[in-house]
Amino acid sequence: MKRLIPIDIETNLNRIPLLSGFFNAVSKLTLFVLRFFKEALKPPYEFSELAKQSYQVGNRSFALIAITAFIMGLVLTIQSRPVLAEFGATSWLPSMVAVSIVREIGPVITAVIFAGKVGSGIGAELASMKVTEQIDAMEVSGINPFKYVVVTRVIATTLMLPVLVAFADAVALYGSYFGANLKEVVSFHLFFSEVFGKLDFSDVFPAFIKTFFFGFSIGIISCYTGYNAGNGTEGVGKAANAAVVFGSLLVFLVDMIAVQITSLFT
Amino acid sequence: MEDIVVKIEHLKKSFGNNHVLADINLQVKKGENLAILGKSGTGKSVLIKCLVGLLNADEGEISIFGKSLADIDENGLNEVRKKIGFVFQSAALYDSLSVRENLEFPLRAQPAKPQHEVDALVEEVLQNVDLKDAIDKMPSELSGGMRKRIGLARSLILRPDIMLYDEPTTGLDPITSKEISKLILDMQHKYKTTSVIITHDIECAHITANRLAIIDKGLCVAEGTFDEMIKSEDKFVKAFFK
Ligand SMILES: Nc1ncnc2c1ncn2[C@@H]1O[C@H](COP(=O)(O)OP(=O)(O)OP(=O)(O)O)[C@@H](O)[C@H]1O
Ligand SMILES: [Mg+2]
Repeated sequence: MKRLIPIDIETNLNRIPLLSGFFNAVSKLTLFVLRFFKEALKPPYEFSELAKQSYQVGNRSFALIAITAFIMGLVLTIQSRPVLAEFGATSWLPSMVAVSIVREIGPVITAVIFAGKVGSGIGAELASMKVTEQIDAMEVSGINPFKYVVVTRVIATTLMLPVLVAFADAVALYGSYFGANLKEVVSFHLFFSEVFGKLDFSDVFPAFIKTFFFGFSIGIISCYTGYNAGNGTEGVGKAANAAVVFGSLLVFLVDMIAVQITSLFT
Repeated sequence: MEDIVVKIEHLKKSFGNNHVLADINLQVKKGENLAILGKSGTGKSVLIKCLVGLLNADEGEISIFGKSLADIDENGLNEVRKKIGFVFQSAALYDSLSVRENLEFPLRAQPAKPQHEVDALVEEVLQNVDLKDAIDKMPSELSGGMRKRIGLARSLILRPDIMLYDEPTTGLDPITSKEISKLILDMQHKYKTTSVIITHDIECAHITANRLAIIDKGLCVAEGTFDEMIKSEDKFVKAFFK
């Protein structure tokens, strides 16, 4: 007998759970984001908890970010030199490296490391608070756990990532200066006047703005995975893992969108 | 009818195909200690979580101080919750906060108090659970029994009218268990609280409760004083008190 509908309905039906699972997660995440804005705007504000979280976020990640940024600047300089030397343009080295660091590599690498270090920490912390009923305990004592736990952490990551990126850029440029000096002696003054001579507003400003979105995405996704963790210690591991995976993925997605938007204006 | 503080009528709760509570009817009078007994996994924790709105009932009605939980909004629920102290089975201390900060935490929901009043309250509840030395420790430095007692102290700090205890003595040695049971009794006398105590510790029920209820398979199978229970001819009740 000939099929009336050429599509194999059965295999398509089998795919639906996966697909509906995806849309389900997206809609839940959207509601979570909307709830964040609703609760964030509503007083009372948890300023002292926000300060504490911001301090922890910065403190937990800045050493790792410093080391990576330094190596990144150094390696980038060493790797770029031969190509530039081929064109006899080694004098372009500082400005070229500076532009790639400030525009792209600094923000993205810092954000990905941040997702790995801070995002996983938040995911695991919230999940274990959920599993050990600490979230429930807050709720029954009349304190809004979403406001106290989620809102403060998301704002902390949103505000701290730009600061960390600025710090990482500075360290990476220093690493680059160090790298440039391996082959020939370049004075500190000359190197940095080359760097700042080439960097302009259109390099710095969009890169700075997008880091807020990176920080927000990482914060919201880690809180979401932690806050919705399944029961048991297994849920904690899964939440931490999901926070890193989806946090990093989101950084690249947001970066892609940010680059498209900036290219519209330049 | 004034003196009925907690009223549960035809409470039903399922998780998917797992029908945990089928039809629970219970009343708790003012100043009374009610112990609820039942096998592990019969839904005792689910029952008291429904009482504070941590879980929503599928059917039936729960009234606290004459207000039905189904009829009130978030603010109303918070008002009711301020009158209730909840001691979690797992103590649920905030890991990142010291004992002192844990105890001060519930006070956030209230208008700010001067620091010396807060300190006095903290000291008083710590005195109650006999753990004054632990004030600057972190929860991870405490033993299981100490955590339970701090959890209890934290619930007492707002002087709730109703205390809900989820297995306050489980996992503790007989001596500490007895101390906690006595503490629960003390609190009833000292602050005139009404309590619901979930337990499968017969001794704890004996010490603390004015009345007992046994739940099984989602139903309340027996109710009465300790002496009535002991004399019961019911097979299930007998098995419990053997
Ligand atoms: N959030 C939940 N989601 C799904 N099922 C749940 C949830 N909470 C409890 N259950 C189920 O409800 C049933 C009763 O659980 P509950 O924790 O109330 O038992 P209990 O009587 O308190 O047992 P115990 O004495 O061991 O603490 C269990 O089968 C459990 O799997
Ligand atoms: Mg239980």
